[in-house]
Amino acid sequence: MKAEEKMKYQGRLLLFYGLLVLMIGTLLVGVGYRQLFESDEFSERVKVQNHRRIVTPAPRGNIYDREGRLLVGNKPKFSAVVYLSDSGVRSAFRQEYRVLVRDYRARGESYQTGMLQKMARANVIQTYLDDVNRMLGLEETVNVEKVSAHLNYNPLLPFPIIDDLTREEFAVLLESLPVESPVQVYVSNQRNYPYEATASHTLGYVSSTILTPDAGLPGEDLTTFAEKGTFGRAGVEKQFDEILQGEMGTEIWVVDPYGFQVESKERRYPTKGRDIQLSLDIDIQRAAEQAFKYHDRETDTMMDHIGAAVMLDVNTLEVLAMVSKPDYDLNDTTPFISNETWKKMNENGGLQNRAIQGLYPPGSPFKLVTSTAALKANTAHAETMHFCPGHFRHKSGMIQYCAKRSGHKEEILWEGIRDSCNVYFFQTGLETGIDNLSREAIYMGLANKTGIDLPHETGRMIIPTRDWKRNRFKQGWYHGDTTNFSIGQGFIRVTPLQMATFAAGIARNQIVTKPSILRLSPQQAAERPPPKPTGLSTEQHSILVKGMIASAQLGSSRRIAVPGLSIAAKTGTAEVAKEGGKIELAWIVAFAPVQDPQVALAVIIEGQKLNADFFGGVWAAPIAKAMLETHVAKNPDLLEVRPTASVSLP
Amino acid sequence: MAWLLLPVVFKSFAKKGFYEFQAPVSLTSSYVRDLQDFWSARTKSKNELYEAGQSLARLNAGYQIAALENQTWQAEIARLENLLQLPSRPDYQYEIARVVERDFNAWWQRIIIRKGKDYGIPVGAPVVFVGGVVGRVSEVHAYTSVVDLISNNHLRLAVVIDGDNRPMSYRGGGSESFAQPVGLAEFIPTDIQIADTENRPVLITSGMGGVYPAGLKVGELRRLRQGAGGMFYDGEVELDARLASLTEVAVMIQIPPEPEQ
Repeated sequence: MKAEEKMKYQGRLLLFYGLLVLMIGTLLVGVGYRQLFESDEFSERVKVQNHRRIVTPAPRGNIYDREGRLLVGNKPKFSAVVYLSDSGVRSAFRQEYRVLVRDYRARGESYQTGMLQKMARANVIQTYLDDVNRMLGLEETVNVEKVSAHLNYNPLLPFPIIDDLTREEFAVLLESLPVESPVQVYVSNQRNYPYEATASHTLGYVSSTILTPDAGLPGEDLTTFAEKGTFGRAGVEKQFDEILQGEMGTEIWVVDPYGFQVESKERRYPTKGRDIQLSLDIDIQRAAEQAFKYHDRETDTMMDHIGAAVMLDVNTLEVLAMVSKPDYDLNDTTPFISNETWKKMNENGGLQNRAIQGLYPPGSPFKLVTSTAALKANTAHAETMHFCPGHFRHKSGMIQYCAKRSGHKEEILWEGIRDSCNVYFFQTGLETGIDNLSREAIYMGLANKTGIDLPHETGRMIIPTRDWKRNRFKQGWYHGDTTNFSIGQGFIRVTPLQMATFAAGIARNQIVTKPSILRLSPQQAAERPPPKPTGLSTEQHSILVKGMIASAQLGSSRRIAVPGLSIAAKTGTAEVAKEGGKIELAWIVAFAPVQDPQVALAVIIEGQKLNADFFGGVWAAPIAKAMLETHVAKNPDLLEVRPTASVSLP
Repeated sequence: MAWLLLPVVFKSFAKKGFYEFQAPVSLTSSYVRDLQDFWSARTKSKNELYEAGQSLARLNAGYQIAALENQTWQAEIARLENLLQLPSRPDYQYEIARVVERDFNAWWQRIIIRKGKDYGIPVGAPVVFVGGVVGRVSEVHAYTSVVDLISNNHLRLAVVIDGDNRPMSYRGGGSESFAQPVGLAEFIPTDIQIADTENRPVLITSGMGGVYPAGLKVGELRRLRQGAGGMFYDGEVELDARLASLTEVAVMIQIPPEPEQ
């Protein structure tokens, strides 16, 4: 080769080498750049591709009554499950698939790969299930579609083959299943209600749904498989859901290209939710609920009255008992509410917590508000006398009757309360005027929610005013409206909890609001909103109390009497229109002991027969008595050998 | 690698053959140990033997009284079962066997006993001693049987806490080298507490699992920690120290119920 040619080739060669070095250099720089500056990003990408996260729910916190008795807890739910990611299971899937393919080919039949895979998986799971069936003496079969769906959507979660094992079955499987078997006993938890239907509305229920992982759990950017968790849907379970929910657990797994677990990288155990202590006293609650039972002669069965009852601690306004009937067995709501249960709860009105959602005319206990308004407006005083001939004739000619058709004759204020004389309060109400009456009811908090720490308290209570009626019915206010209102009838609607709060207010001679369902520490009790004065002097207040004591000792409330306990009470029988007739509502409000009030209560029972009498003194008073008896049995110091609070017989 | 490639039949035969050939050696050494014990007893003085005989006689008298009491209780149980029309619990035949070999290393946690097929020992039979559960028969050979100890982490049983009826899981925890074997309990209800070291909760067999009769002691809970699901405790179980020096055990062989006429 000539020198010129050689030089020419060498030049090209050099150019080629230069290009080669440039290319290799570019590659090296690229690799170096990725290694040095982008390695974190690529590591993250790999992690996202082959890491999976499992989120597990935490057990909810327990709920206790004021004496530390368990009202709501958790109980384990044992299941037999197959861990699908076990290498033995996956190998069995492949083996079974090959067998099925061979069979189909041998028979000369065509097949679909997807269908055969489904069948193979179901067959393998059925084999495991057969082993368990043999151990437990069962004959369960596998649902092919369920297996397939589970493998598609939740391959990392164990597949349940038998749910809800009994203790005995659990024990048999523990001893019979090899420790290293892909079939294992799995435990989850579900709510447990030892007192069944007791206080069901107050405690509330939970429902289960797929967890939404908490923010801050590791592996937020990873594909996540979440188990079902429980969430409060009603009552205390809903109100304090955040406290009761614990911290979810999480597991991060490295998975193979098929999505099955290979290696656990990180695990955080779930943390149980915090416990809460309610103000309820389960003894009083049970006594009240027991007292709601009656024997129905027509069906010859024990039934529950429909209604509500609330007992409050007068000093702290803690709820000691809250009953609403009809109710439902809380254990029927777990692990889920079946359609049948839901339908039943809905149809019998069991979903409504009548204590905070039931709206009723308060009837005669409202006469205490009328009395207060009259005393404050100086339209009545201790000796104000009215004559009751048994009826009241309006100027328009309309006649309204007293409960005692023969009339109470001449009565002063406390006697009017004792005898629950309608005519006395018709006249007092008219003299006081609707504006004063409405203002007083609103001042006492009857127009607003109490603000109790329970969800779904109704805000639709009605304290009628002239404006309200004009807006609602485009009508003016009539005297008949005032007389109705003055005895707690007509448009007015309040809840039983409001009436219990009102009774506590009368007991303290202070307007108290915001009852609490939580047990309060002394400090928390001291930090409660300060009460407002009723505006009644001690003498004026004593007139109301005297009337209530007399009612409890001699009047319509006497069935509430608890030997040795001084009680102030006021019954009532309100009416509401229904199906062209009317039903009556039996009321009682009370507090005790009179000298140093500790508890106040309100009970309402809905009459079920159209146009039938249903007196508060007959039906509501025994329930109040049962509640007071239980309270006194636990606090015998409240009893007096000789009651000091009494009124002289007429 | 070569072993892995061998046919299963050959490996199975070799494994069984190993035990059957090894058994005479183990048995011989076991008998030699017994002979040693015999001759060491022969060296005792007459006074020592006399005292030992007396204490044995006292022990026998005690056992005779206990046996009479047991008979009375058994009769009472039978009467109550009859009264309540309860099915009688399965009866067991106890086959007492000498321990040939104890293998407590971190790998195996098992013992070999001097009875096998020749005495009708079945696989899976529970094995007990005076301190409670020893384990479960895992292999039976012609003259020997292998018993997985309760410290073996392949052994699991359903247990309850004495005085409670909620079943929980017990599993052998193996042992670290040169450490005392332990057990692990799972699904312990959270109301269970270890008040003090003197009165620790005692785990006994539940009788619900179908393998072990109820009431046999397994161990004592000595430590609790939060379990994986957050709903139960896991616990560490202290096993009977005498398991490490077993010389005789009883294999419980279930007597099949008589067929109904």
